[in-house]
This record gives sequence, C-alpha cells and structure tokens, in this order.
Amino acid sequence: MGSSKKHRGEKEAAAGAGAGAAGSSGPGTAEQAPRHREHKKHKHRSGGGGSGSGGGGAGERRKRSRERGAERGSSRRGGETEARNGSAHGRERSQVEPVERRVKREKRDDGYEAATSSKASSGDASSLSIEETNKLRAKLGLKPLEVTAVKKEAAGTKEEPVLADVINPMALRQREELREKLAAAKEKRLLNQKLGKIKTLGDDDPWLDDTAAWIEKSRRLQKEKDLAEKRAKLLEEMDQEFGVSSLVEEEFGQRQKDQYSARDLQGLTVEHTIDSFREGETMILTLKDKGVLQEEEDVLVNVNLLDKERAEKNVELRKKKPDYRPYAEDESVDDMFKPRSILAKYDEELEGERPHSFRLDRGGTADGARERELEEIRANLRQQAQSLTMAGPRLASEYLTPQEMVTFKKTKRRVRKIRKKEKEVVVRADDLLPLGNKTSEGDFGSRLRGRGRRRVPEAEEEREAPSQLPQSDDTRVENMDISDDEEGGAQGPGSPETLEEDQVEAELQKQLEKGRRLRQLQQLRDSGEKVIEIVKKLETRRSREEDEDPERKGAIVFNATSEFCRTLGEIPTYGLAGNREDQEELMDFERDEERSANGGSESDGEENIGWSAVNLDEEKQQQHFSASSTTILDEEPIVNRGLAAALLLCQNKGLLETTVQKVARVKAPNKSLPSAVYCIEDKMAIDDKYSRREEYRGFTQDFKEKDGYKPDVKIEYVDETGRKLTPKEAFRQLSHRFHGKGSGKMKTERRMKKLDEEALLKKMSSSDTPLGTVALLQEKQKAQKTPYIVLSGSGKSMNANTITK
Amino acid sequence: MIEVVCNDRLGKKVRVKCNPDDSIGDLKKLIAAQTGTRWHKIVLKKWYTVFKDHVTLGDYEIHDGMNLELYYQ
Repeated sequence: MGSSKKHRGEKEAAAGAGAGAAGSSGPGTAEQAPRHREHKKHKHRSGGGGSGSGGGGAGERRKRSRERGAERGSSRRGGETEARNGSAHGRERSQVEPVERRVKREKRDDGYEAATSSKASSGDASSLSIEETNKLRAKLGLKPLEVTAVKKEAAGTKEEPVLADVINPMALRQREELREKLAAAKEKRLLNQKLGKIKTLGDDDPWLDDTAAWIEKSRRLQKEKDLAEKRAKLLEEMDQEFGVSSLVEEEFGQRQKDQYSARDLQGLTVEHTIDSFREGETMILTLKDKGVLQEEEDVLVNVNLLDKERAEKNVELRKKKPDYRPYAEDESVDDMFKPRSILAKYDEELEGERPHSFRLDRGGTADGARERELEEIRANLRQQAQSLTMAGPRLASEYLTPQEMVTFKKTKRRVRKIRKKEKEVVVRADDLLPLGNKTSEGDFGSRLRGRGRRRVPEAEEEREAPSQLPQSDDTRVENMDISDDEEGGAQGPGSPETLEEDQVEAELQKQLEKGRRLRQLQQLRDSGEKVIEIVKKLETRRSREEDEDPERKGAIVFNATSEFCRTLGEIPTYGLAGNREDQEELMDFERDEERSANGGSESDGEENIGWSAVNLDEEKQQQHFSASSTTILDEEPIVNRGLAAALLLCQNKGLLETTVQKVARVKAPNKSLPSAVYCIEDKMAIDDKYSRREEYRGFTQDFKEKDGYKPDVKIEYVDETGRKLTPKEAFRQLSHRFHGKGSGKMKTERRMKKLDEEALLKKMSSSDTPLGTVALLQEKQKAQKTPYIVLSGSGKSMNANTITK
Repeated sequence: MIEVVCNDRLGKKVRVKCNPDDSIGDLKKLIAAQTGTRWHKIVLKKWYTVFKDHVTLGDYEIHDGMNLELYYQ
C-alpha cells in the first residue's frame, strides 16, 4: 500500500464524492471529499471516522458499486472539479454540518472526514450507518439492529480510548443492599396479604358465645342448603329437558367407579413366593422402587420380607459352599423341567437375579393352589424314583460259589485227532457199516450246528454250554480211525505201500469234506474256546504221540496225488503267493489241528510240490552262482594261438586305438566338452516379440521318409583324455560343469592317481613281472646260451653286463 | 448492536454493524453487501479459527470493535 494507493484512494474518493454529488442524498457529501482529502493529509487512521460516515456513504456506495462502470468516467470528472472546489473550502469549518452522529467525532478530530468511498484504502474502513444497515438487513431478511448507541459511543474505540467511569464499590454495595431490602419487604407484604385471609385461632367466631348469633348462622346455613338443593333440582330438570341427564349421570358415576379397590390389583406381580404369605397374616405390600425412566410394570413387595430374604442370601453366601461340583449328578426329580446348564453358578451374575414372583389374578387375590399341586406331584415322583446307582464293584472271588457250581456244566472234551498222513488208515467197508447207521440218525442240518453256536454264556443264562458239540461225523470217523490206528498200529510201516487206489480216492474225498466242515465249525466258535480245546487236545495228542513217534519217523508216504504232482513239474507261480512259510512245519505234527485240518488233503500234494519246488530253487541258486562267478581277470589269451587272440590281448591292454567308430568322431578337446549332453535353456529369450514371430506354432508331423528310422541311441561320455566315462564319472563331470567348480586339490590328486594307476595297469605286462624278470632271464639265457641260469653270487653281480662272461 | 471490523489485508476493510445474536452467515451477508463479493465466498477467520456460519456472534464472543480476518474461498 504505497502512495499510489493513496492517490487511487483519493481519486476514488473524489469519484465517490462526484457520484455522491450526482445522486446526492446526504447533506454533507460535497464536503466529504475535501474532508477526506484533509483526512488524508493529516494521515489519520480512519477507523472511527469510517463508521461514522457509513450512514452517509452507504447509499452512494451501493449505487456506485452497481453502476461503477458507467459512472466512473463521469464521476471522476465530476470528482476532479469537486476536488478543485473542495480544496478551496476544505478549510471552511463552519460549512461543515455534522450529522448528529458525527458530533463527537468532529470534536475529536477537526480535519477528520468520514470516508464515503467504498474502496477501503490502507487505513480506511467503509461502514454503513445504522439506517442503512437496517435497510440492508431488512432486505436480507434479518431483524433490525438493536441499538444501544449510547453505550457504544461512551465506550469509544480502540483507537480513541475514553476514560472509563470510576467504579465506586461502596456505592455499588449500597445499591445492592437497598435492592435486597426492597425485595424482602415486598415478599413480606405479599405473604401478609396471603395470610391475612386465614383465620387464626385467636379470632373467635362471634356465634360461639352468643347463641343468637349461632342460631342465625345455622338458619343461614340451612337456607343456603335449601337453596342449593333447589338449584340442583332445577338443573336436573333442565338437563332432562335437554336430554343431557344421562351424560351427567355418567360423568358422576365415573367418579364413583374411579375409586380404587381390590379389583384394580389384578395382574400385578408380587415379588415373593406365595409360601412366604401365611394364612391369617396381614402383610402390607408397597410398590417396589424402580427408576424414573423405567417403563416396566409395577411390582409389589413387602419391605420386611425383602430384608429377610437378603439376610438369608448373605448367610448362604457366607457359608462358603463349593462352587463347582463337576460330578454332581442332578438326582432330584423336582427340577425335572429345569434344564441343566453349564456353569450355572454364573447365571445370576450374567443375567441378573430372577426372584420368585407371582401374579395377582381377578379380584386381587392369589392362591397357592397351583404351587401346592406341583409340590404334590414332585413328592409323588420322588417316591417313585429309582436310584440309578448300581451296586458297587466288589472283589471277584477266585472260587466258584455253590450257586455257580450248579449252573456250571462240565464241558465235554472234544476228542479230535489230527489225521496222520504217514499213518495208514485202513478203512474197510466193514468199518463203514456201523458208521453209516450212526450218520443217518444224526442231524445233518448244518444250520443248527453252525449257527446254533454261541459263545459260552454267563452263569445267569440258562443255556446248555455249547462247548459240548454234538459229535460230528468227522470226529466220529476220526475216533474210529484212531481206534483203528491203535489196533492196526502193530501192523507197522510195512503196509503203507500196499494202499489201493480206489481206497485212497475215497479217503481223499472224505478228508476234503471233513476239512470243509471243520472249517465251518471252527469259524463260528469262540477263539478262546478253541484255544482251550486246542490246548487240551494238544496235551492229549502229545501224550499219545509220544508213543507213536518212533513209528512215524521211518515212514514215507506215497500217494497218487503226490506222485502226480511231482511229475507235473514246477508250477511257476506256485508258492510265490507267500502263504507257504509253514511248508516245513507241515511235516511236524505237533501243530494246531486247524492248519492240519485245513491242509487236509492239500497238504499231501503241497509237501510234494514243496519238495519239488525246493529242488527248483536249489537249481536256480546254482545257476545264479554260476553266473556270478566270473573271475575278475580274464583268462589270458595265449598269444601264440593266433592273431585274434593277440589282438584281443592288445585291445584289453589298451594298446590299440579302437577306431571302429564313425569318422566324424569328435576328437577329445583340450578343455572339457562344452555342453555335449545338456544345455542350459534360457527361457527369457523367448519373450521378445521378434523372436516370437519366427517360431513355428503349427501342427507338426513326423517325416514320412523317416518312418522306419529307429536309431540305436547310445550315449557315451568321454573325458578330456578321450577315455570313456562310467555313469558315475559322467555325472561328476556334469555336476562340475553345472556348478562351475570342480573338485578340490585332494580329490583331483586322487583322481589323477587313480587314472595313472589304471594306465599303468593297462601297460603292465601280463606275462611278466613288473620288474621284467622274465625278460632279463631270457636275455641272460641268450647270453649264456644255456637254458638255465646259475644263481650265485650277490645281487650286484647279476646284471646284464656281468652276465656275459 | 456491535460493530465488527473485517479486514482482508488486501485493501478491503469494512465495519459492519450487527447484533450479537446475529449468526456468522448473516454477518457474511452484510459484509458481502458492503464489499461487493458474494457471501458464500467469504471466509471469516481469526488466526486459524474458522468461524462457522451457523454460530452466533455472541457464542463466538465476538464483541464490539473486534477485528476479523476476511478471506475468500
């Protein structure tokens, strides 16, 4: 804001003045311009002045702001003339007619002119007068200013501070006291007025002492009553005339009904149990406290009861009952309809207390009939309840009690015999005859036999212990057999070879059947029972077999099936299923009956097959052995046998360079072969656009002319010397190249050593000692011309030079 | 009635007469009428306190003769 602004301000001011002159509304606008310029000269801050002049300038300003463009030219022109004029009468104070508002300002500042210009220059603030402001406010829709002009004027402004009035504290206090006194007096007056109406005890009624006055009073009262009655009657008649009587009655009747009675207590809850109310006892119930904003319904309580309940609860809490009883079983039948919840002890805390309560029904009564009924039901249930606790576990006695003994049935031993294969069973027709009779009687129903089997039940069950099997045919037959054996045992091992074919066949069939049936039976029986039986049988058999052992050892059994199977030859897949681990054990009869029974007839064939299989195995082993028994060193081909042998020898020794391969063989380069067998594919190179274009994405087919081409691919790896590499070495080479580093010092030295040793080995003379002793020998022989050498003398003398005589 | 001075430090300085119970919005309208801008373009501030339109001058404790900073948005 330099001087330029000032000038502009001046110009504007002049313009403003001119415009003001053009459309002058205020009285002293012409003077305002020179005043303004004067003000400028004096360099007064125009803060206060601006506001004072606001009233005058507002209108012009508004007009000017709207018509600025148009009027500027003219106003400026006008302003200039004015300015010239203004300077002339600028000094004329008398011409100045201050507006009332500006009186004080004039006094303060002679040369001070309120600015009419709207454009505020640096120190200039435009302002509107109150009227103008009010007009503006009315236009904007605001209420007019609250004028407290005096106060404002008195206070002054920041720029022109006015001496504030002296605050006299004493005076202030006195004023306050006065006010208080006045207020008190007023109140007193009012009170007295009010109280004055009330009759005090001191004032006696006139009629108390004076009977005449009393009589008069009573008469008066009576009269008034009569009058009132008459009036009421009149009113009623009037009502009836108008038909309003019913309404009136209703209205009055309502008031009667509104009287509160027991009926109105219907539905209220009482927050105690019904049991706490005893017959013949009156208890006063009051409304329970509740929050002001709570909209819940009212609850009636008795204060004493409440206290009692609280005390009881505290006592319970203090008793320190265990919180958590994990194994507490809900044995009470009472709460059959209360669901058991987890961590019930927290329910009160979380959900809040839920006190017992009951509702009053019609007529405000409540009876405990329902509760009593529930109680009765509960009592009944409790009586009927059965305890779920079972009898506690007691020590089992080791000995059977007499009661158990009664039910205990001795199990009949199942006498079973394993079929002895060596033992010849001479079955004659005669033997079968009695057996036939028996079997016809017997029960063939496998269902009964089979499924009727159950495990040996407990003593309580009344079933015959099925451990006693009905004698099966097999067992009976076997028994027969055994008895036969015992009798025919004396016949000795001589007779086995005299078996006849057809008898053997029948026996085979029988054995198969038996095996099948036995298998069925045994599957249904309990394993424990089986074990017991088996153990028993074993014992019996062992005792019996001890006698028969010597007899058995010498026997060899031939039967048609075994011979046939032997001659069949080996079945290639036979025995490979892996179930034949107990082939050898079949020979040993101190085995479970199961296996033998199952093996039944097959065992005969099996063992023979096994026998033959064993043979084959042996043969196979022999073959293997023969294959693997190659000597490390080949038989040295004798050189004088022929050229072929010589060539072979040379080849083996590596003296020959085998160049049988194609001509285009790669000569071993000095450095290791660069990626002959692998390449590191750079997949990133595929991505650039232009190379992509070149690649062929179409359908490819094999070449027709190369249909029969089946190359014999043989991948050979060579090292730097041209030696063929073993797969291990080839891989080592590959990995060295891949990782970019080879072996360390030690490793390479070892490798070199090994290579040298190999080379040496190849160079080694196979027909001579490393020192070439034979060659020396031959030389000596040539020299001596004798086919022998005389070994004598010290070593020193034995060299080629000394050999020659 | 109080008089409030609004200065935008660019040459515009106005003194506006208003009531203490006028809102800032009304004050802005008055200022706009005097300065020739639009009232909703005016932002009245005091340091970093922006005076909101819906609050009255009395609530802002704007007394007579206070200076407000006039900005534009």
